[in-house]
Amino acid sequence: MTRFAPFILRNLGRNKLRTFLTGAAIALAIALVCLLRTMPAGLDSFLNGLAANTRISIHNQAGLVYPLPYSYLQKVRSVPGVVEAVSWTWFGGAFEPEKGVSFPNFAVDPEPLGRVYEDHRIDPAALDQFRRYRDGALVGRATLRAQGWKVGDLVTLQGTLYPVTLSFRIVGEIPRDQDPRFWFQREYLAQALLARGTSFDQLGMIWARVDDPDRVEGVMREIEALFRNSEAETACETEKSFFGNMFGSLRGFVTVILLVTAMVALCIVFIAANTASMAVRERVGEIAVLKAIGFRRRLVFGTLLAEATLLATVAGAAGALGSLGLTLLLRYQVSGWSPQLGPLGAFVVTNAILVEVLFLAFFIGIVSGWLPALGAARRSVTATLREVY
Amino acid sequence: MLLPLRYSTRNLFARRARTAFTVVVVGLVVVATTLFWSLISSLKRTLVGTGSPHNLIVMRKGASNDGSSQLPLEALQAIRFFEGIARDERGEPLISPELVVQPFFRTRDGGRENVLVRGVEEMALRVHDEVEIRSGRMLRPSSGEAIVGRGVASRYAGAGLGSELAFGRGRWKVVGIFDSAGSSFESEVWVDVRELANDAKRPFPYSGFRLRVAEGADAEALARRIGGDPRFALEASPEVAYYEKQSESANSLYVIVVSLAVLAGIGATFGAANTMYAAVQSRTAEIGTLRALGFSRAAVVLAFLIESLLIAGLSFLVGSALAWGLGLSLSRALGGIAFGSQTFTTNVIELRVAPGDLLVPLLLALCIGLVGGLAPARRAANLRPVDALRRA
Amino acid sequence: MIQLSDVSRVYQRGADQVHALEHVSLEIPAGRFAALMGPSGSGKSTLLNILAGLDRPTSGQVVVAGQRLSDLGEDALAAFRARHVGFVFQFFNLIPVLSARENLELPLLLTRLGKAERRARAETALRVVGLEGRADHFPGQLSGGEQQRVAIARAVVSDPEIVVGDEPTGDLDAKNAEGVLELLRTLRREFGKTVVIVTHDVRAEKYVDEVHHLDKGVLIDPQAVRAAEAARR
Repeated sequence: MTRFAPFILRNLGRNKLRTFLTGAAIALAIALVCLLRTMPAGLDSFLNGLAANTRISIHNQAGLVYPLPYSYLQKVRSVPGVVEAVSWTWFGGAFEPEKGVSFPNFAVDPEPLGRVYEDHRIDPAALDQFRRYRDGALVGRATLRAQGWKVGDLVTLQGTLYPVTLSFRIVGEIPRDQDPRFWFQREYLAQALLARGTSFDQLGMIWARVDDPDRVEGVMREIEALFRNSEAETACETEKSFFGNMFGSLRGFVTVILLVTAMVALCIVFIAANTASMAVRERVGEIAVLKAIGFRRRLVFGTLLAEATLLATVAGAAGALGSLGLTLLLRYQVSGWSPQLGPLGAFVVTNAILVEVLFLAFFIGIVSGWLPALGAARRSVTATLREVY
Repeated sequence: MLLPLRYSTRNLFARRARTAFTVVVVGLVVVATTLFWSLISSLKRTLVGTGSPHNLIVMRKGASNDGSSQLPLEALQAIRFFEGIARDERGEPLISPELVVQPFFRTRDGGRENVLVRGVEEMALRVHDEVEIRSGRMLRPSSGEAIVGRGVASRYAGAGLGSELAFGRGRWKVVGIFDSAGSSFESEVWVDVRELANDAKRPFPYSGFRLRVAEGADAEALARRIGGDPRFALEASPEVAYYEKQSESANSLYVIVVSLAVLAGIGATFGAANTMYAAVQSRTAEIGTLRALGFSRAAVVLAFLIESLLIAGLSFLVGSALAWGLGLSLSRALGGIAFGSQTFTTNVIELRVAPGDLLVPLLLALCIGLVGGLAPARRAANLRPVDALRRA
Repeated sequence: MIQLSDVSRVYQRGADQVHALEHVSLEIPAGRFAALMGPSGSGKSTLLNILAGLDRPTSGQVVVAGQRLSDLGEDALAAFRARHVGFVFQFFNLIPVLSARENLELPLLLTRLGKAERRARAETALRVVGLEGRADHFPGQLSGGEQQRVAIARAVVSDPEIVVGDEPTGDLDAKNAEGVLELLRTLRREFGKTVVIVTHDVRAEKYVDEVHHLDKGVLIDPQAVRAAEAARR
């Protein structure tokens, strides 16, 4: 088939405008599909990244804004199967008050943090600093990038929930690309509130690590039973389930996006098919002559199909590459984690997506070229010659 | 001499397959663009469209939203009778003390979302005058009753009229469903403020006040007076400005969706132009004949342009109708499209294709018609008749 | 070389059945230059298509170069044509996006020959028709007569025994037409090919060895017809 390559390429050059327009349409559509594909992919990869760990969340069953007594932390720690547990309390500090809270920030217990989040591979030196310095902060990469901070910077957050303003020193990063979290010492907040005459004896939620994946279910039920019929009943779930629920409401948005993507792809198939059939129709006489001089039907079919497929695949590759550039632009705008979209706003075009999209382009080429090529191959030579003459 | 309109219209019907094909292609573009656009504007309508221009919102100073603010009873008593606050017929000040809590709710398909529950008193309906109860009645205090917004009723389990809604630490009976011109109030549940404070065990009874500025009064002066009170750290701002600020966080979302829509539009324009180009190319001989008969270049180009625009118009009609239907069924199937807000509660958007949303898709369709029809028509019309006929 | 026995061809055109050929029997020995002539609709093109292996008869036998064509399937027939028959048409002979040389290499792509060999053969064929200077020109850059000569070169590039042409001079002026006919005669004289053409052109009678007349799908003998007419008067 490669010996026919020059022939196939020349045919594409026959009507350069038409080839360009079709190619551009396919390229843009593939770029679009690529971009859109990153959204659910971002969500899925984020959730899948959480699947393997044995971290569970314990929160007030009524909702995340309903607090739990601080005493619960110790009780959870002493449940058999729990390796370690740490409390998180939403601070809701704003770095730029006019912009509001642009990244999630929490007051946490510094001592157990490292063990509960061992899989995050936070630098032990950083963890040590975090434990030692009251005003230390550990910040996730997404926020560091978005705000242009680095380790050692001084940052001040104005509380929107608590009437205090706190200053921190970034002592380490949470080395995960999509992580926007900002952790600081609970004691720091407690002291600031005490100075204003308010006590701080509640926590937002507890994250605990279970020793054995098989025991997770049992431990969760045990913890729930522990606090049943008390003032604050708890609900437990795995980390994956927690974030799944949190971003689950985005599924509606994702559905609309996917629907539009499908429509655009369909539109493009039509356009490519039209081009292919036009290209064939124009050459009806020529193709008859080719068959007369001995080109078998399968060969005619093959070269015509190759023409459509080559155009679609090359255009698709161009579109995919273009989308890589576009995602860089979008990431600059949205910086890896958007409060609206969460992990959907990551816009990371993975290799898997590129391959998927190239296959789609190839598939579009085949589907659009199939019928015209088949028709041309099957058409009777003599009938065509009769018509033409 | 111009070609009769009939030439353009008849041609559409003569080449039925080609017309249908182009209509499908451009129509799909219209559907995609319309859906994208409606998504944005549905979002905008909900976030920005909330709030009455006559109202002020009072929160603790420094709180970014009324979910994170806490106010004591004394604060309410202090400002209630300020000059500038509107009064009802009985002389009662139109000020609505409210408490905002965000408990978990279960969606109808088993998901879990934060929903904004607003503890209110009777006065709330007067102050939030865009809120209207459509079915059932207003809740009675201390009766374990709730009224729900339209978006809530369709999305969450147990939120229908007469059902028992479980959230927080208790159960509430849904006695009414309200709507509010598509604003974000429709994503809320309203209950008695005291019962809510009890359920959430809040130390402070309120999170914010909403008040109606009296007719002709100076709203700015009132806001300043409230903010200047030394006993309590309060901040008053216009309700509309407050919600506008909330919607700003969705700006990054707008940017994304608009970028995607533009991309789709450009790609489709190329493709549709290609289709129309081909349509004209195949009629080169016809054009030659017309020119040979004596029609001017302008007349021929105009005739083709009209045809092209007619196709674009038809595609627009078909596409927008399809988009309208799709939006409706999607919304229904998904129970509304959910978006997170600054308060980490869910705004339920009804994906609605409003007449205003059709402007951009219409422009796009016309643009495609122009671009796709003009260039090839001009090229063909500029050929000498002899050459055009020979090209046949 | 070419033997047709009792060949008939019926085909559908819209709602009608057209009897293009009725019980035609014809024999063309190897190395002859034959012309098929007759009025429009007489079935001469159909006859040509059948003896070239481009069309199948509704009934009757066709044997070409010792091969019974009815024994061959579609693909085998295509292979047969590639090997044994060269074609020259009135229009559409050449692919417009390929140069003259590339057009000649096209049939050779169907063989097992390597790139160098293909190129060499193409150049040889071009020399035969006297156009080696135009190897890299595209059909759009060649005159009508030159295009037909390239088409003839393409017809012989894979060295088939038979060359058929359907109105090969139909679109040409007098000078070019004579040139093409001369070239076709050369193919017979110098290369021993069997050449069969369908033509309206009376000039062809000067160049060909035999003429077969057709009318309404039947072979006729024009002298006998004239004699019968004269007898009636």
